[in-house]
Amino acid sequence: MTTIDNASRPTTASFVWPRVTFIRFSMLAMMVLIVSSWIFVLNVDGAQSHSFLSVETFNRFKDFLGDLLGIGSSTTPAFAQWSEWRSTGHLAYDTLAMSVMAIGFAAIFALVFFIFGARNMMMGEMAPYGSWFWRGVFFLVRGLFVVTRAIPELIWAMLIIFVLSPGLLPGAVALGLHNAGILGKLSSEIVEGLDQRPIQALRSTGAGRFQVMVYGVLPQALPRFVTYLFYRWEVIIRTAIVVGFVSAGGLGTEFRLSMSYFHFTTVALLLIWYLILVLGVDIAASYLRRLAR
Amino acid sequence: MTSMTSRDSAQKPRLLESRRVLTLILLAAFVWSLLNLDWTEGFIHSGGISAIGEFARALFTLDLSANTLSTAITASWTTVAYAVTGLTLALFIGIPLGAIGSGVLTKSPWVKATGAGGSRFSLAFFRSIHELVWAWLFVAAIGLSPMAAVLALAIPYGGILGRIYAELLQDVPEAPLQSLRSTGASEWRVFWYGRLPMALPDMLSYTFYRLECGIRSAAIMSFVGLGGLGHEVRIALDDLAYQQVWTYLLFLIGLVVVVDIWSTMVRRRLSE
Repeated sequence: MTTIDNASRPTTASFVWPRVTFIRFSMLAMMVLIVSSWIFVLNVDGAQSHSFLSVETFNRFKDFLGDLLGIGSSTTPAFAQWSEWRSTGHLAYDTLAMSVMAIGFAAIFALVFFIFGARNMMMGEMAPYGSWFWRGVFFLVRGLFVVTRAIPELIWAMLIIFVLSPGLLPGAVALGLHNAGILGKLSSEIVEGLDQRPIQALRSTGAGRFQVMVYGVLPQALPRFVTYLFYRWEVIIRTAIVVGFVSAGGLGTEFRLSMSYFHFTTVALLLIWYLILVLGVDIAASYLRRLAR
Repeated sequence: MTSMTSRDSAQKPRLLESRRVLTLILLAAFVWSLLNLDWTEGFIHSGGISAIGEFARALFTLDLSANTLSTAITASWTTVAYAVTGLTLALFIGIPLGAIGSGVLTKSPWVKATGAGGSRFSLAFFRSIHELVWAWLFVAAIGLSPMAAVLALAIPYGGILGRIYAELLQDVPEAPLQSLRSTGASEWRVFWYGRLPMALPDMLSYTFYRLECGIRSAAIMSFVGLGGLGHEVRIALDDLAYQQVWTYLLFLIGLVVVVDIWSTMVRRRLSE
């Protein structure tokens, strides 16, 4: 199998590890990782982990569900009061605004940088700029994408709260930064995978760099960019509540407070709003995506 | 070529219109979101600028003491372990529900409608709630336990994997399956000997891609009291020990990059 594979492949200068060997090795490494991870996790807090599957766990779970639904409580559950719906509705509105702001920030960042992160535009044969300077810019921009992407939204929020005053903005910036890295990488890859012929044709007519960008690259790349935008928006709306835990804005803050005051019926109401938001954004995104096509 | 141009010109007016509408909608939405900010007060803390300065300076005086490094290594391993355990558990949700959700196991329309519809609905529900929200709910319900976090990680990841698996199992080419059917194989056999082997490389590939996301998700599980890199970052931030914060952040970035490179290598070879 391996030998046939290698023989059929055109000989390249660098050594290519046989496909099957590498995959087998990776699977083996994965197995080792899985087994050792399970051993580790089950022994971290030994006694508790082993008693996880027990009648007691089941009963506590049942009690908690009862708390969420307000069973056995003397007060009216939050989700049965119109005033509660209205006040938490405001928070849901804020969370929605936060998610839109975040995807806006991420899109601006990605639109500014994505062309500098595309290998073929910066140092391939398509490169209008062939100098070491632009090569450096390429690696810098790709590095920027990696760093912003590798740090999760919540950790960004914990850092940003030191600089920005609490509210919707720090949450939106935290969500925006993480997604900027993802969108930037994805959109640079779009440019790398573009059909090069229209661009070459344009250049052969003597079009300048700017004209190649506007008439060759953007018309091809933007529809797919917008598709990715909506896909990330769907992820952001799910994460906006989590960022709100630290950035003090929208549903997340209230969720955290209600949890610590044991106002479980309010928690249930907030979860209902959260699910409404997620479903609404999924529907809106799939509708808008059709417009982009 | 001529057919292409004629098609293009026929589609152009409609396309242009819908795209212009979309651009307007997107810009209006962004402006609306900005209007929700409180513009009357400053956005930056009184000490915000100096905090940035201190934080940037700390990068050049990284804390690389043996103590911090050993904490960082232990924390990295903890994060990897939670990510891997969560993802293995997610497979137990994603594979069966994805297979049923793809609706290819049976030909009977009744079973198909209820089974596929039901599992698709539960997959959608699982992935609509963020893993940290699941984690918090579990911790509130059953108390602080590593298993609560592993389960919380597994549920939304199972939901995502299941959806993708279902799509991949449906997108398998029909011709080889037809030849299996012509030998009298049941749908169940066709699934085992036709669909699954053909979809498996893509399924594996996507699972490997998810591992990178799993590392990041596991890192933030500190918020519900689990150890790991997020936990260390949080403690260091509370102590204003920016040098240590940087060390832990760099470990997290390094971890994500290594997993990313590994999964890209595996994925490239799987798709060859």
